[in-house]
Amino acid sequence: MIKITNLEKFYRTEEVETIALNKLSMEVNTGEFVAIMGPSGCGKSTLLNILGMLDDPDAGSYVFNGVEIAHFNERKRADLRKHNIGFVFQSFNLIDELTVFENVELPLIYTGVSSADRVKRVEEVLDKMQIMHRRNHYPQQLSGGQQQRVAIARAVVNKPKLILADEPTGNLDSSNGNDVMELLTDLNEQGTTIIMVTHSEHDARYSHRIIRLLDGQTVMENIMV
Amino acid sequence: MLKNYLKITWRNLLKNKGFTAINIAGLAIGMASAALILFWVQNEVSYDQFHQDKDRLYQMYNRSVFDGKLWCWGTTPKIMRSALKQDYPQIEQVARTNKCNFLFTLGEKHLTLAGNYTDPDFLTMFSFPLIKGNPKTALNDMKNIILTEKTAKKLFGDEDVMGKTIKIDSVDYFTVTGIMKDLPNNTQFDFEYLMPWTYMEKVDKQVEKNWGNNSVQTWALLKPGITEAAINAQVKDITRKNSEIKDIDVFMHPATKWHLYSKFENGKIVGGRIETIRLFSIIAGLILLIACINFMNLSTARSEKRAKEVGIRKVVGALKGSLIAQFLGESIMIAFFAGILALIIVQLSLSGFNNLTDKHLIIPYDSPVFWLISLSFILFTGVLSGSYPALYLSSFVPVKVLKGTFKEPNAVFSPRKILVVLQFMCAIVFIISTIIIKEQLEYAQNRDTGYKKNNLVYTFMTGNIEKNYRLIRNELLTSGAAVAVSKTSAPMTEGWSDTWDYTWQGKQEGAKIDFNMYNTDGSFTKTMGLKVIEGRDIDAEKYPSDSLAVLLNEASVKIMGFKHPVGQIVVNNGTKLTVVGVVKDFILQSPYEPVRPMIIQGPKSWFAVIHYKLNEKNTTAKNLQLAEAVFKKFNSEYPFDYHFVDDEYALKFKDEQRTGTLATLFAGLTIFISCLGLFGLATYMAQNRIKEIGVRKVLGASVFGVSSMLSKDFLKLVGIAFLIATPLAWWGMYTWLQGYTYRVPISIWVFVTAAAVTVIISIITVSFQAIKAALANPVKSLRSE
Ligand SMILES: Nc1ncnc2c1ncn2[C@@H]1O[C@H](COP(=O)(O)OP(=O)(O)OP(=O)(O)O)[C@@H](O)[C@H]1O
Ligand SMILES: [Mg+2]
Repeated sequence: MIKITNLEKFYRTEEVETIALNKLSMEVNTGEFVAIMGPSGCGKSTLLNILGMLDDPDAGSYVFNGVEIAHFNERKRADLRKHNIGFVFQSFNLIDELTVFENVELPLIYTGVSSADRVKRVEEVLDKMQIMHRRNHYPQQLSGGQQQRVAIARAVVNKPKLILADEPTGNLDSSNGNDVMELLTDLNEQGTTIIMVTHSEHDARYSHRIIRLLDGQTVMENIMV
Repeated sequence: MLKNYLKITWRNLLKNKGFTAINIAGLAIGMASAALILFWVQNEVSYDQFHQDKDRLYQMYNRSVFDGKLWCWGTTPKIMRSALKQDYPQIEQVARTNKCNFLFTLGEKHLTLAGNYTDPDFLTMFSFPLIKGNPKTALNDMKNIILTEKTAKKLFGDEDVMGKTIKIDSVDYFTVTGIMKDLPNNTQFDFEYLMPWTYMEKVDKQVEKNWGNNSVQTWALLKPGITEAAINAQVKDITRKNSEIKDIDVFMHPATKWHLYSKFENGKIVGGRIETIRLFSIIAGLILLIACINFMNLSTARSEKRAKEVGIRKVVGALKGSLIAQFLGESIMIAFFAGILALIIVQLSLSGFNNLTDKHLIIPYDSPVFWLISLSFILFTGVLSGSYPALYLSSFVPVKVLKGTFKEPNAVFSPRKILVVLQFMCAIVFIISTIIIKEQLEYAQNRDTGYKKNNLVYTFMTGNIEKNYRLIRNELLTSGAAVAVSKTSAPMTEGWSDTWDYTWQGKQEGAKIDFNMYNTDGSFTKTMGLKVIEGRDIDAEKYPSDSLAVLLNEASVKIMGFKHPVGQIVVNNGTKLTVVGVVKDFILQSPYEPVRPMIIQGPKSWFAVIHYKLNEKNTTAKNLQLAEAVFKKFNSEYPFDYHFVDDEYALKFKDEQRTGTLATLFAGLTIFISCLGLFGLATYMAQNRIKEIGVRKVLGASVFGVSSMLSKDFLKLVGIAFLIATPLAWWGMYTWLQGYTYRVPISIWVFVTAAAVTVIISIITVSFQAIKAALANPVKSLRSE
């Protein structure tokens, strides 16, 4: 599903140039559950943003489902993204002014799903995430674990083929964290490809494969058994 | 999607009530001010544009050289009409108008009303429809009269008045032959009734054929297809052809330019009302812009709060375009609320505004065009104020804003700072202008008039006053009402006639020097409290030859070049007049202009007004009571009518007073709206830097230190605004003052005052928030991490 080759990303400020990704190559197949690990500042989030088409690389190739997209413009990327990719962030990133229901509904609005269908699908995922009873609450009225479940609900409501999660358990205690990992595992078992950044060896064990980064380069790949 | 946007907008508005209030209030005030000014502009540009044949309507104008300059004026000889009718087949209709003032008597009811004499053509040339009566015949008979609806109501109440009889001036009986729909609020014509021209000829006891007396207005309707240039080539010589006068050209001034383009300089149109209209339109635009800037600044200042929303929307698939649409929708919604509030403000302030501008504007609630324009205005305001924030907010990049540490850069030239500078620049320009306009007004008001205005009263000579003048004068004096009485040709505050038809020994051959003409029967200097510089006042009772005596003012002596003016002979229209005295210069016309040369002729001339100096020993009320008794005795048919010279003199400042009040209003509004925005920005900044302030306080910063640190940034902007505003205001006011010969110098103190006012107001605005932030407990603010 994903194949990147010699991907490079630099950050230039006035004084220094940081190489966030240094000729990175990797491949992720459909249905895989991959964890990315590495020390702080090694380029994990940068990689995930590029994979999620939120950012573009400075050099190298990125083939998504057989299409080279490194040169895609914003409009094309947004179109590809909203139909194929769901995001889960460490800091949940829910919109404070919208209710649980409305937050989850948002991606459907942008993919042009009709209003009746939206209600059906949002209710379906809220049910699955067991937060149906909170549908009319605002994010501030929920616990961290509940907020992250809403965020996951929002990530999957469009039935994406790929979910990108950047430290999804980083702001949660271990019990809530395990719940989230179970949810991701379930999704993966139903066929969704998952790429997750994490600092936790425990969480990484839920995946099929761990890719370890150092200074923007792959240093090791572990296959889980 | 729309519903989702509206929802989030609505919740945002409610959540940030303070900002919402500031945004809506600021926009509403700005929109209301702009709307009022636009109403005014609309009224001005529509003046006399409702006449069906406006493209063929013209006013006759003269053009001639005086003092080496080409002058144009819109009064014509009475005889011009018949010449136009006879010799110009291109002209379809011609009508003259001339003002008249009559006492109307209806049983016990006495009313003095102002009207126009005119020719029958008037009713068919202009679109002033008759509700009753036939426009083709209504003025055909000498004793016909047309009343406006209002006048009819004033006289008869709700009765049907067609065919009724009214007594005019206690001499003649008129039949009402037409009721005219009240004049609209956008015409230069102003009359309560129309009378036939033939009646004026009866009152004057002659049909004047003199081509040299320009005293009436003449209007012409061209046949279709005749161009302005073509007709002007034809009528140019009309005066030359018909009279001995060789130096006057005639031309036609089109109806489309009557109101807006009527200022001539050296024979050419150089503008007129249009300048004021342009200036006011610019001011309307500026006030609206200042209000919109508030919106832009507050929306972008709060962008950190909205950055996350933008990021998330983009992650789940929103494109920049849809985000722009969302933010524009928000600003249009706010503009809509502001628009409703603005309409309420306009309705509430309309009567005050009408008073101020001397207009009768109304909001046309029943006109669909009005609502359409209002909606477009709201849309325009929403887009104007929302476009920059929309572009700014929608361009956030998700990877940056979702990291959770997003902070806007604090650049030296951020657009927000430029906008604040722009706002304050306008405010300061208005403040400086206001101060200078008020100074100029005061300067002119304090100018020595040259005569004593207090207790000086005048009455127009109506009915039998002129006939009984001697008796009235004597009784005014013996009754103790007045201490001096003088009969004159015009009120002391108005120059009614002028002429260049004077010659004297030593006058340069062919020089055309214009003199103000004024007449008195005697006691002139005593009544007016004028200083005699040389010789004596005119006194025909003591010196019978004084019936042909004249007084000169200092300006005349100077321009005539007399070393010993007393005893000199001045010839007017063949009559020899002897100079008996010189009086100090006094202001007859404009208090802003130098006193013009003036010749005051003795008793053998014409008169229109009685001036009398009230007796200081009595109260004013007692004096007026006594005077009324005298006038009633000798002129019983007419109500006693009197004017205080100092009141009339004060009217000379009406325009400048109005300009001053408007400038104050604009200055007040702009500074208020600007400060509203500044307050919002300061509030936001205090919230935004709360952590920084906490840290600084923990490290030992004082409250004063912190609050001045926060205020300093804003004051710097006000300072920059001042530096830009000063030359602009100076240039604008310098140009304005050039319109007055007698003008105040622009002093440095004006700028110092304006700077002080602005700085104090903005310090108060900003420091309130800054001190509040500085006083906050740092433990609280740091815990919110
Ligand atoms: N906007 C930016 N400007 C400059 N440098 C940046 C920017 N974003 C990231 N970097 C740099 O790029 C490198 C990789 O950053 P990235 O956020 O991908 O690290 P990370 O592996 O996700 O770290 P963490 O585990 O702490 O989240 C770091 O050295 C970082 O300092
Ligand atoms: Mg990271």
